[in-house]
Amino acid sequence: MSTPFSYPSDREEQSAAQVRALEALLIEKGVITHTTVDKVLGYFESEMTPLNGQKIVARAWVDPDFAALLATDAPAAVAQLDLPDGMAGAEGEHLAAVLNEPGVHNLVICTLCSCFPWPVLGLPPYWYKDPVFRARAAREPRAVLTELGVPLDDDTEVRVWDSSGHSRWFVVPERPAGTEGWTEDQLAALVTTESMIGVALADVPAPV
Amino acid sequence: MKLQHALGGLEGLETTPVNFEKRVFVEDWEKRIFGIHAAMMGLSDSLRDAGYDMEAAGAAVNTTWTWADLRKGAEAMNPFEYFQFRYYEKWLGGITAYFLQHGYLTADELATTTAKYAQTPTAELPVRPSDSIDDQVIRYLRQGDTPFRGPGEPRFAAGDAVTVGNPPHSDHTRLPGYLRGRDGVIERVWTGSYAYFCSTGPDGLGDQPVPVYVVRFEPQEIWGAAAEPNAGPIYVELYETYLNPPASTEDAA
Repeated sequence: MSTPFSYPSDREEQSAAQVRALEALLIEKGVITHTTVDKVLGYFESEMTPLNGQKIVARAWVDPDFAALLATDAPAAVAQLDLPDGMAGAEGEHLAAVLNEPGVHNLVICTLCSCFPWPVLGLPPYWYKDPVFRARAAREPRAVLTELGVPLDDDTEVRVWDSSGHSRWFVVPERPAGTEGWTEDQLAALVTTESMIGVALADVPAPV
Repeated sequence: MKLQHALGGLEGLETTPVNFEKRVFVEDWEKRIFGIHAAMMGLSDSLRDAGYDMEAAGAAVNTTWTWADLRKGAEAMNPFEYFQFRYYEKWLGGITAYFLQHGYLTADELATTTAKYAQTPTAELPVRPSDSIDDQVIRYLRQGDTPFRGPGEPRFAAGDAVTVGNPPHSDHTRLPGYLRGRDGVIERVWTGSYAYFCSTGPDGLGDQPVPVYVVRFEPQEIWGAAAEPNAGPIYVELYETYLNPPASTEDAA
């Protein structure tokens, strides 16, 4: 995004110093410890990553009953898988899934803030929080998807889901052609964070 | 009214490309403010009501910090400055203001300590171990804080027509501005009733648990002539607070 604003040249250094000061003072005052922030970050780096979402999608691709349950009761479906402890934890308390199918493409947005299914996809990438994305995707999703490189037929219905309530939504993209007989591990590698929010399709398998 | 409540569908951005930045953090310092926010959610005094043993955690926290507090900060910003700052810059501003406002730290000590780290960015953090604090934060991350509050008595059923309300504008809301007064159809009724983190005052949310719905809207109903050609439906999850029987029905009643 082009920006019409000017900023001080030490903008990042000042923010870095301020957040460091905040953390130091909170430690001194007994609010947090010197390891709290690292432990939080470690939790998201090692356990709550898009790998969980990839496994959920891969299972949905190979197991129609699982896919059906995911659509009607995502928390129950997710609980069936061997995923880290915490899938129903912070920002996963009420997961909800929408499934792409031939002729239907789903797109998840949050126009009021940045609601995101942390346990399924980890923390939100910057584009999801971009005010331009949040503003445009609500009213002109087809133009945004075209701009971001998602091929859409004219007769494919684009459904937009705005996350303003208690649920945290994600998309199950369509299984790419040419993946018949693939294992769940192989399939999971085709699933990106972007495809699980709806601004991309699952990757197409590389030609053999 | 607040521009931050009416971002969805804002016109005039059609030729402004989306910033398709796929990184979660673009500066290392952003990770630290995220970590402080997540830790504070896990140490919030409000978690007592969710059954967490906050005495055992032993953190020097006696106030509530939830998403609502972070959102209120962003929604309280000068709307033009809102677009001037990067996502985690807004967090840093809002979270810092909270700690100052609630007396966790003074402006003077923050200024002095910030100057120290600006002078010597590699200066170490103080050391203060407490397994019980760290354990509580991770326990919160794994167990969460569900807003589910037991059975609900939904006023509407799937297939019912509804009209979105137009409550007084408030500091904080979970009603996207583009829906005010618009007609939709209930797509799905979630089982039970759901609380919100705080009362939104005249906006009407959070005083008591309410049913939550997924409501389907046709794009022409929302955007009129500004709807995208060949646009599909938009589904929005809405608290019952914001929904009324169809306007025409109420007029007739």
